[in-house]
Amino acid sequence: MNAALRDKYAIVGVGQSRIGRVPEMSDYGLQLAAVKSALDDAGLKKQDIDGIITHSHLLGAVRVHHQRLAERLGIDTDFGLSVSSGGATSCLMVQLAAAAIEAGFCSTVLCLHGDKGLTRKSGDGHEPVQEFGPEFGMFGATAQHALGATRHMHEYGTTHDQLGAIAVAFRKHACLNPEAQMREPMTLDDYHRSRWVVWPFHLLDCCLVSDGAAAVIVTSAERARDLRQPPVFVMGMGRANNSRGWNYGNHMTELAARESGAKAFRMAGVTPADIDTAQIYDCYSYIVLASLEDYGFCKKGEGGPFVQGGRLELGGALPTNTSGGMLSEGYVEGMLQIVEATRQLRGQCGPRQVPDAQTALVSGNGGNAVCHSTLILRK
Amino acid sequence: MTPSKPIPTPSEDSKPFWEATRNGELRLQRCLDCSSYRFPPGVLCPECSSTSSEWVPVSGRGRVHSFVVFHRAYHPAFANDLPYAVACVELEEGPRLLSNIVGVETARIRCDMAVEVLFEKINEEISLPKFRPRA
Ligand SMILES: [Zn+2]
Repeated sequence: MNAALRDKYAIVGVGQSRIGRVPEMSDYGLQLAAVKSALDDAGLKKQDIDGIITHSHLLGAVRVHHQRLAERLGIDTDFGLSVSSGGATSCLMVQLAAAAIEAGFCSTVLCLHGDKGLTRKSGDGHEPVQEFGPEFGMFGATAQHALGATRHMHEYGTTHDQLGAIAVAFRKHACLNPEAQMREPMTLDDYHRSRWVVWPFHLLDCCLVSDGAAAVIVTSAERARDLRQPPVFVMGMGRANNSRGWNYGNHMTELAARESGAKAFRMAGVTPADIDTAQIYDCYSYIVLASLEDYGFCKKGEGGPFVQGGRLELGGALPTNTSGGMLSEGYVEGMLQIVEATRQLRGQCGPRQVPDAQTALVSGNGGNAVCHSTLILRK
Repeated sequence: MTPSKPIPTPSEDSKPFWEATRNGELRLQRCLDCSSYRFPPGVLCPECSSTSSEWVPVSGRGRVHSFVVFHRAYHPAFANDLPYAVACVELEEGPRLLSNIVGVETARIRCDMAVEVLFEKINEEISLPKFRPRA
């Protein structure tokens, strides 16, 4: 994306609903709770929102979702869009918001994802696959991502101790987050003892299933200066898709994070060494490890040793997923990663605050790890 | 009642693939312009965008690019098969496809292991191409 857009747009409001098991609230109830919390955070009225971008429901398969949300929120907007790019949608929505404002479509955009993933299951929302998978017993995202982990282990000697170090680090962070779904301390032994789901993934390699919603409000940097919160500026934006698929070439071990990240770093004019905290899309432990490699925090194949020794923990060189991530805070399709990065840069994270955090990286990764999006944010 | 496993529903594009496996043969679609093989089947060559192709028999030999072992039944019909392996097999001709590795304990499967195709008859219409270790 054009470097002239660096710092031209800002995140001015973030909010979330309760996360975890929330059977008494509807999908829209959770979503509106997140919207209200983001509006209050920004000090904006709903009438100030003239653009809405939402994630077209993963579970509910709602058509034209942005319109359904606006209807319930009670506003008309100049621009509305429902996006489907899996886990890449979160960071992509912020980029589309900036692009829409730049194009003059609207001036202040609400981005949202949320649903009742835990207590209302209505299928996984994917198109039913008719052949070349289910007949062999191949089902679900866990197995797809696990194929990547097996290949990475084969090529680079990556171990379960290393994958486990990621899960343990994020759980430590969740224990400092009163909103997190999982706040029981976890050791590496607990990780090894957790049951196999699809080898090489233990249960604790896999993200949570959650009810929950989160919202992010984007506007121009100029407008942001007059609002309630210190603006968090969008320095860098990147996107890339390994569209030929997970099974193709080296895609299982080299994610589209490589090009997505390179674009974002180029636009931001910074390098991995400048990042104070990373909020990585952690649908599975392995995706964190591979993303860190592909972003250039370490060399390809060195992600295993890199994530050990507390490097990803608070107090380590690269505090990562400081709210607990999707492995321990809750699964809101990557939106909580943007919320957490914003709060870290504002210095609002209390016991889990990264001291003097100036620059944060956020990743989104979806479509079974082939669609990717990256944000680099600064205070 | 025991639930049955999903049976592939061939599409307009994949019909020749399943007709071949029914006859105990693995065939892939090959581009008539650039000679590259492709999978999954489709009307356009992903290399050169040609729409001319033919279905040709292939060796049935390949190697395991990667694999996983299911310890949880995502579909009740697979509960009795646990633990079972699903692999991404790279054929000698290039394309990769998902299938099962059979005839070997799951603990002995390795990436890059040499495999060959065999066919498992499901009904009069469908036979599934599966893979076993090759000496
Ligand atoms: Zn061709």
